[in-house]
Amino acid sequence: MKACALMVETFLRKASIRLVHLSWLGVYAAIFLIPMPPDSWPWGAFVFGWSGCLLPLVLSAGIFGDDIASGRIRLLVTEPIRPMELYVYRFLGLSLQAAVHLLAAGALILLLHRLTNRGAVDRFATWMLASWLIFNAWTALSTSLSVLVRREHNSMLLVLGTIAVVFPLYLLMLFFENSLGTKIYHEVLCYAGPPVELLGRLGSGQYSLAGAVARVAHCLLLTILYAVIGIVLLDRREFKYVAD
Amino acid sequence: MSGSENEAVPVVECREVTKVYRSMKAGRPASVCALDKVSLRVGNGTIIGLIGPNGAGKTTFLSLIAGLIFPTQGFIRVCGHPARSLEARRSLGYVPEAPAFLVRYSARAVLKHHAALHDLSRQVIAAEVDRLLAQLRLEEYADRATGGFSLGMRQRLALAVALLDHPRLLLLDEPSNGLDPIGVIELRRVLTEIRQSGATIIISSHRLGELEKLTSDYVFLHQGRIVTFGGQAPGGQSERLHIELLPGGPEVKEEALAPYQPLEKSETRLIVAVQGVTDVPNVVSSLVGAGARITAVALERRDVEQTFVRLYQERAP
Repeated sequence: MKACALMVETFLRKASIRLVHLSWLGVYAAIFLIPMPPDSWPWGAFVFGWSGCLLPLVLSAGIFGDDIASGRIRLLVTEPIRPMELYVYRFLGLSLQAAVHLLAAGALILLLHRLTNRGAVDRFATWMLASWLIFNAWTALSTSLSVLVRREHNSMLLVLGTIAVVFPLYLLMLFFENSLGTKIYHEVLCYAGPPVELLGRLGSGQYSLAGAVARVAHCLLLTILYAVIGIVLLDRREFKYVAD
Repeated sequence: MSGSENEAVPVVECREVTKVYRSMKAGRPASVCALDKVSLRVGNGTIIGLIGPNGAGKTTFLSLIAGLIFPTQGFIRVCGHPARSLEARRSLGYVPEAPAFLVRYSARAVLKHHAALHDLSRQVIAAEVDRLLAQLRLEEYADRATGGFSLGMRQRLALAVALLDHPRLLLLDEPSNGLDPIGVIELRRVLTEIRQSGATIIISSHRLGELEKLTSDYVFLHQGRIVTFGGQAPGGQSERLHIELLPGGPEVKEEALAPYQPLEKSETRLIVAVQGVTDVPNVVSSLVGAGARITAVALERRDVEQTFVRLYQERAP
């Protein structure tokens, strides 16, 4: 029962969550209405960026931060539930939302593609898998961050943090592409950060079967690592009285 | 654990508990000692009033028992289990000073949600939710979103949440905040019912008159230390029994009143220190046995507020 209650809560806790899902799907439909989308418009890559990378930031905004800011967390953590359960069930709620969202988006895109023949749906199933995996990685990172910061600042911090680490990389690659420092920086971001680049390559079919399995395992391990950090933070955190 | 073992284990046991808050002020580390080596044992079925001036450490003390914060030193057990453990949390219900809920959830949905966190079955959840909505007189508001609730309504709902699954310990931080007079009477009724079921209640409140009607024991906290703890008005102050005597009677000797102490004595008037109303028949029968002819008896109750002010003034810088 507790798993069900916490998973459902991730969907019902804000009125905006339903609107987000609808508007995200609406964007997919709206693009088909644009008179001349390029015939080679890669729908899989678009879903990967739009739903896989951006949607988790919106859905997980304030997932713990809102509770901490309002003081609701003081009621939650005095209930007979382990911090790990509180975190994991909420994470699974978001992951399940993503799965349903991606299935709906996939069905919508395939239907409209069949009707209009606009865009390309090559390796669409692989892109959907990559989208769900990257959604989970971003969600775990964002949820863990929300244990530390109040309100929905976790998502904002993640966006700013991503810009702060990715922008210097582009500059380095522009001016010092072959330097060792640039390569190390690139590898660290590639393997320790949410694996956007690696899963992007997976979606576009650049790996063999073994390589693809390794990318999937790598992403799952990173997601677990981000989640473990969040669970430890939640377990060790104090919840003092704060007026909202 | 058997029933007799349950009786033996204190509901709350604090030993040498110290809590220091550390922060940064103007770039320098600063620390505030909110609780200083507090030790306390609380048994079954009592209502403890936690009183003290602002900043005395009342909310910190409740938060430590509830497992919301960690002690800097010492340990706390709830029903024999370390605070913050799953078993301790299963034994307690907590009402924070300003309860908050998901604003889109109705009162019924909030109760169902928290009942689910207790891992109760669907049938038990439905029964518990109906019982608590009725007990807290929340049926009328059961299906309204909590976002529109006043502070008093949220307090009642938080109490309902805390009472889920019959906790052995109830921690209430300013529970009458925002309640209207009828709400306060209702709260008193509910807490009396809970005490009758054998649960222990610890209440922190500034409404001293309200506490007086509810509590049997008091803990007076001042600057993070327990000044007094006992089953009477704080400070160990006895109540005063005024006895009017017919003139010309035999002199009442102190030994005749033992173990009670006469505070004032004249031919027609006697004031005796007693613990409470239950001592009145003993004193009267002792006096009658000593040959005194009593014309009137009156018990002067020393209220909590007076004692609180006196204790506070004694310790004011």
